[in-house]
Amino acid sequence: MSGADERKVGSLRELSPAIEPARDLWPQIEARINAERGTAAPPRPARARAVPPRWLAAAAVVASVAVGVWIGRSLLPASRPGAQSPISASRASFADVPTALDVAYVSDPRYQRDRAALMKTLQARLAALPPPARAKVMASLADIQRAKQDLQNALGKDPGNALLQELLVNTYQDEMRVLTDVQASDPGRGI
Amino acid sequence: MGSSRLAAAITVLFASAAACASGDRTFERQVPAEAHGVVDISNVSGTVVVTGWDRPEVSVRAALDEGVERVDVSTDHGRTTVKVVLPHHGHGGDADLHVQVPKDSELAVSAVSADVATAGVTGVQRLNTVSGDITAELGGSDLELKSVSGNVKLKGHGQPARLHVSTVSGDVHLEHGAGDLEAGTVSGTLVVSLDSARSVRARSTSGDVHFEGKLARGADFDATSVSGDLNVRASAESGYAYEISTFSGDISNCFNATASERGHMPGRTLQGTRGDGAGHMHLKTMSGDVQLCDRK
Repeated sequence: MSGADERKVGSLRELSPAIEPARDLWPQIEARINAERGTAAPPRPARARAVPPRWLAAAAVVASVAVGVWIGRSLLPASRPGAQSPISASRASFADVPTALDVAYVSDPRYQRDRAALMKTLQARLAALPPPARAKVMASLADIQRAKQDLQNALGKDPGNALLQELLVNTYQDEMRVLTDVQASDPGRGI
Repeated sequence: MGSSRLAAAITVLFASAAACASGDRTFERQVPAEAHGVVDISNVSGTVVVTGWDRPEVSVRAALDEGVERVDVSTDHGRTTVKVVLPHHGHGGDADLHVQVPKDSELAVSAVSADVATAGVTGVQRLNTVSGDITAELGGSDLELKSVSGNVKLKGHGQPARLHVSTVSGDVHLEHGAGDLEAGTVSGTLVVSLDSARSVRARSTSGDVHFEGKLARGADFDATSVSGDLNVRASAESGYAYEISTFSGDISNCFNATASERGHMPGRTLQGTRGDGAGHMHLKTMSGDVQLCDRK
């Protein structure tokens, strides 16, 4: 993986405004739309139902891919082979002494399992949100990532600082709350 | 004055919603309901306006655009359910609901992008949206409110209650609340005014927190943020002991106390007592600035 791929995205502004799929997905999309048209039951006369225009389907795919790229780059740093987690990366640059937080949160198997489960469905949930809401939530998640990074950097300078430790624990809890809320946001029912 | 403004806002919201929906289908239904029953409302898109009244029935009026399949209204063992049903396929559509409920009902509203407004409901309220804004009048009972990106406006009448509000990115404005408040946001701004607070817990990641109000005797006040500013103007007849900590932010106050540095380590703290010191105030940030004043 190149160095450019390893770069962390600190802000949505750093993402390319036109992220394109790695391959041309349109032939598959078109084939599927055509297949669904061919097999779909005729619409009930009482309700007019417009077939979504092609650009909407394409936009949904692009949005989903963009969200996926963003999640992969900004929220899943440890998922890349050879990549260091923010905790270990920041600590490596300052001190090798583990903090109580590592024991309490980052190393806790239940926390890791729950977070991993939430991250699995995050992309689909974000893609299902209305675009303005999706942008706001992604910005908030980016804020949380930035806060975690800032706190870890500050803890690197002052590892025993109880205030920073408390705020970092709060931030981990807030991240879980946001992931849980987004997970619970069912486009068919709300939260 | 405030109530009339809220009522006017709700009227305008409903009128504009109805105007937008002109030409679409309408729906009306009334069902008997218990005075202290539960009313459960869900809608994906559009508006939900709920008002409390003195009648033992739930009235539903709705304007539905063509993407909405139907509205189901059912009642069973004291629980009335109002649900906007969308077709399984397709993009769905807007439904503008005006629901009148017995004023002491326990109200639960769940919405996605629909804006929600409530007024005149004195029972417990549970209001959830994903991106819809929420405007609610507090009726003296507990409130549990959750929104992902919607903005929240709450107006109370100084009656104590337990208020639990959380957003991810939505701003929260609360006026004339009282009692116990727990509020959290990641990047939204919290603007809170409480007539009398027994306990306040406010938490933010990057959003600013503004509090103004009066603390009851022995009240606990706890506000934290990572990078957001904390601006607190809290008076208390019996005073409070305060403790402010920040790693790289500034601390200021209106009573000329001087924050102390942490020797060679980064960070500042300010501790002291105002009045009798019966209450407790803790304000903590990493890089946000903190302002404390004991005068409103």
